[in-house]
Amino acid sequence: MYYICRMNREFVQNWFSQVKKGTLSYIILIILDEKEYYGYELVQEIKAHTTLEVAEGTLYPLLNRLKADGIVESKWIEQESGIPRKYYTLTRDGKATLTEMKKIWTTLGTAIQRIQK
Amino acid sequence: MKRIVFNNPTAQKIYDDYFKRVSRCIHVLSADDQRELMMELNSHIYEATHMATPQTEVDILVDTIEKLGPPEETLQPVVAHKKTQQAIRSFNPGHVIQALYLNFSNGVGYVILSCIYLLITAMGILVVLKLISPSHTGLFMYNGHFLAFGFTTVLRAGNSELLGSWFIPTVFAIMVILYFLNTFLFRLLKKG
Repeated sequence: MYYICRMNREFVQNWFSQVKKGTLSYIILIILDEKEYYGYELVQEIKAHTTLEVAEGTLYPLLNRLKADGIVESKWIEQESGIPRKYYTLTRDGKATLTEMKKIWTTLGTAIQRIQK
Repeated sequence: MKRIVFNNPTAQKIYDDYFKRVSRCIHVLSADDQRELMMELNSHIYEATHMATPQTEVDILVDTIEKLGPPEETLQPVVAHKKTQQAIRSFNPGHVIQALYLNFSNGVGYVILSCIYLLITAMGILVVLKLISPSHTGLFMYNGHFLAFGFTTVLRAGNSELLGSWFIPTVFAIMVILYFLNTFLFRLLKKG
């Protein structure tokens, strides 16, 4: 007897969007750990380093939440164009939060690797 | 906020229309919060479009605005959060009511779901009460007018119970209708 096994595309897409949603703040913190970025530049950096298609409209609410939680801080820097850029950096609490998140991510990754064998 | 000036008039109109929508979405916020959000979106659009030629301005601008998403959806959580902060800071009753409304509308669907589940549970209790105390449970009329549907401890002269033995099947029918209504609402919320 033959069975045709098909991937449940809808299930995988839902799962992937949940994974994206859950990891976006982690990715942002990793990128901001290197240097300060302004919003548009941050989007380009995420695109350059990952295959994630970031919904840009969700980035600013997320940055606002991270700022309200004291994880990132921001400052406006004037530009020659007259249109300033808002630069984001990690706070000291943000750096400590990222260190903890890295530990959790490593533990989770190791556990999944072990299960997948 | 310094407006971006486009060479292409169509691009200028798209840009102005977008900021009119943004303005409408955030008008409940303080002037500082409004300026901050507008400047951030303006900066994003400028960075995305300033290298464009007059021929490509419209395409690049439309693409940028599409990627930012409809302001009515994407700005809603930020507006709700900032309004809450403003309400907490100011204790102004107007701000508190607006903050409650904005946050409540996020979860209003789930509030309705919870109320309907509560109603289904109450109906189940009525079935048990009808079995324990049949004369005090039912659809009561008083002098031809509707008085109560449920359980009452006080039975006055002139009260009559209409459904009798049909009370339990009626309650079961209501429970089934409410259950399907809730399932339908739940699916709608999940899709949203």
